[in-house]
Amino acid sequence: MQNTDVILNIGSNSVENHPVSSKWLHKAHDKGAKWMVVDPRYTRTAEQADIYCPIRSGTDIAFYGGLYNYIITNLIEPGLAEYTKTGKNPSNYNFEYLINYTNASYILMKDYEFDPATGLFSGWNEDSETYDAHSWHYETEEEIPWDTSATGAYNWSVAKGVPEFDKPVLAVPKKDASLQNKRCVYQKFKEHYSRYDLDTVCKICGMDKADLELVYSTWATSCAPGKAGTILYALGQTQHTYGAQNTRAMSVLQLLSGNIGVPGGGVCALRGEPNVQGATDMGMLVNEQPAYLKWSNTTDRDTLAHWLSSQTYSDGYYTNKPKFMVSQLKEWFGENATVKNDYGYDWWPKVPSHDGSDWTEMSSFEKMKEGTMKGYYAWGMNPCHSAPNSGNVRRSMANLDWAVTVDQVITETASFWDAPDMKAEEIGTTCYFLPCALIYEKPGTILNSGRWIQWRQQAVEPWDEAKPDYEICDLLWTEIRRLYKEQGGANPDPILKMKWDYYLDGKIDPRPVSWALNGYALEGSDWKSGFKSDAKGEKLTSGSINLLPGYADLAADGSTACGMWIYSGFYSNNEAPVSAESQPVYGRDNTDYGGLGLYNKWAYSWPDNRRVIYNRASADMNGQPWNKDKCLVKWDNKAKAWTTGKNTDGYDNPDFVASKSVTDPKTGVVTTTAIEPNNKAFFMLWEQNGRLESYGMVDGPLPEHYEPFETPLSENLINGRLNSPCYLGRPDTEGKKGLGTKYSDESTRRASADEFPYVATTYSVTEHWQTGAQTRACPALVEAMPGDMIEMSPALAQEKGVKTGDKVRVWNRRAEVIVTAVVTPRIRPLTVNGKTQHLVGMTHHYSWSKLFGLTTHGAVNDLTPNVGDPNSQTPEYKAFLVNFEKTSI
Amino acid sequence: MTEKAILFDSSRCTACRGCQVACKCWNDLPSEPTAERPYDSVNWDGKFTHPADLNSCTRLITTFNDFESESSQKRVGWAFGRRACQHCTEAGCVNICPAGALHKDPETGFITYDQSKCIGCQNCSSACPFDVPRYEDQGGKTVINKCSGCVDRVAHGMKPACVTTCQSGALQFGDRDEMIALANERVEFLHDHGYEDACIYGVDEMAGLHVIQVLKHGMDAHGAVANPSIPVTATLSGILKPVTAVGAGATVLGLAAMFGLAAGYKRDTLVYNDATGDTISLETGEVTKQGNGPDERSVKEALTENLPFVGSKKGGDGDE
Repeated sequence: MQNTDVILNIGSNSVENHPVSSKWLHKAHDKGAKWMVVDPRYTRTAEQADIYCPIRSGTDIAFYGGLYNYIITNLIEPGLAEYTKTGKNPSNYNFEYLINYTNASYILMKDYEFDPATGLFSGWNEDSETYDAHSWHYETEEEIPWDTSATGAYNWSVAKGVPEFDKPVLAVPKKDASLQNKRCVYQKFKEHYSRYDLDTVCKICGMDKADLELVYSTWATSCAPGKAGTILYALGQTQHTYGAQNTRAMSVLQLLSGNIGVPGGGVCALRGEPNVQGATDMGMLVNEQPAYLKWSNTTDRDTLAHWLSSQTYSDGYYTNKPKFMVSQLKEWFGENATVKNDYGYDWWPKVPSHDGSDWTEMSSFEKMKEGTMKGYYAWGMNPCHSAPNSGNVRRSMANLDWAVTVDQVITETASFWDAPDMKAEEIGTTCYFLPCALIYEKPGTILNSGRWIQWRQQAVEPWDEAKPDYEICDLLWTEIRRLYKEQGGANPDPILKMKWDYYLDGKIDPRPVSWALNGYALEGSDWKSGFKSDAKGEKLTSGSINLLPGYADLAADGSTACGMWIYSGFYSNNEAPVSAESQPVYGRDNTDYGGLGLYNKWAYSWPDNRRVIYNRASADMNGQPWNKDKCLVKWDNKAKAWTTGKNTDGYDNPDFVASKSVTDPKTGVVTTTAIEPNNKAFFMLWEQNGRLESYGMVDGPLPEHYEPFETPLSENLINGRLNSPCYLGRPDTEGKKGLGTKYSDESTRRASADEFPYVATTYSVTEHWQTGAQTRACPALVEAMPGDMIEMSPALAQEKGVKTGDKVRVWNRRAEVIVTAVVTPRIRPLTVNGKTQHLVGMTHHYSWSKLFGLTTHGAVNDLTPNVGDPNSQTPEYKAFLVNFEKTSI
Repeated sequence: MTEKAILFDSSRCTACRGCQVACKCWNDLPSEPTAERPYDSVNWDGKFTHPADLNSCTRLITTFNDFESESSQKRVGWAFGRRACQHCTEAGCVNICPAGALHKDPETGFITYDQSKCIGCQNCSSACPFDVPRYEDQGGKTVINKCSGCVDRVAHGMKPACVTTCQSGALQFGDRDEMIALANERVEFLHDHGYEDACIYGVDEMAGLHVIQVLKHGMDAHGAVANPSIPVTATLSGILKPVTAVGAGATVLGLAAMFGLAAGYKRDTLVYNDATGDTISLETGEVTKQGNGPDERSVKEALTENLPFVGSKKGGDGDE
């Protein structure tokens, strides 16, 4: 962040909610960077910034669309012809980046189309209410099959022990480097966003035109070669019914601006919880297992062969997926996993993709209501307070036979039956509470928003009966297995054949787990004798482990095991496997070797300790940095080799293929040759170029503005469709047989603008942490910020006769809550489509659970709608409708 | 030691209130909600500045003031302030104290105090242009409570607790002239960025404060007192006392406070009994030192044993 020239906070109040980041933003600001905040309210971040532009909640895509249009009109179109002729970048725009590193020049299929009248892309099926993405793909120039011959690049894929699968064929896309072909991505993109002119964007977003132009023109300065702009976003972007499209919209903007992979560029996801990046990596998700490999399902991933055939890329680094997958299965099922039984693949539970049913968080509560889901573990989660429409959650949980809450304090979920709106005597659920240790009460790793993973030691013993989560897991799992062994049960194989041996000196321990995550060769590893450590706590005196140096050494033939390929290398020191302090993941050297703030030896940044991902794009087609003062990697023309963190301190490890090693099959001699600079800047995609247009989303190939689920408008001002055609939780009132879980109106209780005229959004304050389970246990924090609020403008307050400190009843069709009013000029009325639109903002930290601060007047998330994004299943918390009035208590 | 100062740069302050909380932690000051009397959140007055002012158990608060502003593109401003003792050079409170409880720390220039000498007359309050001194009830005896500048920490090479915890660099601690230089530089930066009212505060006020402030939106917006002086009532009442000699008592008290309360630093190992003056091991129950204040050596050991930066230049206290 400190290397940037333009800061754009949008959907992130980073100064308040990610306070440590503010130091780095200030460093950039001190050096002359412009700082902009686009947010429905004037936040603590806006106070630090130079430029503030209010926006109506839920209209970010319109804002981005207008910015694309601005860049195209003012920077690309005026200079494109000249660039095509000379091949030389002008001073204000990086054509070399756009044309070589993105898919701007790729030709799309003939039937690709977007119809503004209907608001639909080609491929829409009205009956199933889903898109067929076929027309969003590229036209093919030629097809190149994998070379699996003895000397071919993919000879490993037919070796002994590697499961059989259909080898991918590379469909080389058709391109037009002049960007003039009417069907190339750039032309379709330009046409699509030509509708997003300044006036239309202002009408939708409720913006002042002068403010918007100032933001756009300031951002445009970051498009110059050698300049960088960074976007900071958080839950203000993701928690929408089109949250994943918001995220894509930012990536598209950064590709268009030449800002991905460069120091001070990028899309900075400020994660919503301290270790949520770690939780995501570890596959705490229903659609992805650890390390972003897709779970098995009942359709295209129903067998291992189908998984490998559908998931392995035809080119780029994900051609190696079979190595990651087989190694993971080897860790999962140990010696029970063999090539004959598809390495145990069939023992995995399958996501029921054949009926499109959804089993993510929000839908779980629908399934409780239906009676499908009868038991529930709420582990490190407090949905009775944090989930949208949390009253619906409580009512759903009342249908459960049993509920287990694992947490540090008695949360609202642990005591859902005790909520002011519940009748305990009518609830038959058996509730259990398992107290767990706080982060400082156990050793382990934590991962930050920048993918830095670091080991930390235990500071104090767990309080009272509390145990670390992994110990709770171990106790449960061991007992479940004992019961299965002694009494049998449904589906015994996955339970009994799983490898579960993460013990050191007789106790469950995160270090053997780290060995498994890092990966090891089976040869030289002995998990059977029982691991014992020496007196120094460095080496093993019983059992052995042969840790791999990194994921490049993983194999698809069952000779390696690895639970988490992306972490491979983080715990790889075979000299002292027992000592976490001796491992790369311990990194405590805070020297800034290159002066760019990479801190290469502080913590470990997955993958392969790379600090700036996609860093190939920081240099031009000849491998020379766009900005010579901010160099991450560089091609040395004399030495014919790359200068990177692998050979020179202060540089970054290459996030691209910088060299190639070939083993002579006869002599066994390994020859390593450097790969000369090329256009493969994004090697985690098969086309190895960034996607301005993508066929990977379920709800459209380009971000398009749709109104939120609950909107003050009766029409979409930019296309003919009010809401996104596919969002999670859409009502089933039309009787469509479409795929996907739909929620009844009884559940979501959509509010209309006639009755509920105010746009509401929710957010956190710095003093409190989500539902307050930790921070409401600290008296000084309760004292500092003692309650939840509804913030409103002075104009709205006057209209409603409300003063700061008044008690206000806020309600919609889902619930009502009473909170304290805060009247402030930090929120101002907006003019949306010519009419005054008021916004209100609410915090969501307090509820009835008995901590140092509490309220019995409802939780703010009782008001938020239980609908969400169809790609990520993230709920909508940031745009909904309410009404309110002054009340007394 | 040269004169020290705390620098508060309001333009880097994120109003996270880490300083407010760290002050309470280090000085073991209670907060309003208790386990027996939890705070009913709906009773909140809607004011961000909370507690509303300094009180007997709050020595430092972050203040908030939002306002409309026609002069900037943003059309609104939000001024964050730091309200606590300003540690005057011309300290009316020290001069007026009849009991010799208040004194100026010769090492730093901070105004510190000995609660055991305080007679609870509250004259110091009347002599303070910033309305800072507050009084806590210690079992029938009312004694002064205010920011001590953490002279106990400073004596051990640490920064004041509020400065150590500040993550954005808004609070810094060092030689007073260096802090003034940094503040002047920052004011210039703010002028260049369109904050015309930005100013420095504390250079000359009360012959020089030991809290230097950069006020981004000007004095009024941040709640600074213009032209502060010792209230006339206090100077005319004829009760000004000569400066009381600084004795060992203050150091002992400072250490005692630090000793019992240092969060995270072996606080359970030793405790100091204020009534008897004994130092007691919590683990064994033994008196390790009888009477006459705490065992200073043990205190130092207890404080420094767990600190990662002792004997090393890297890491540790702050970000240098």
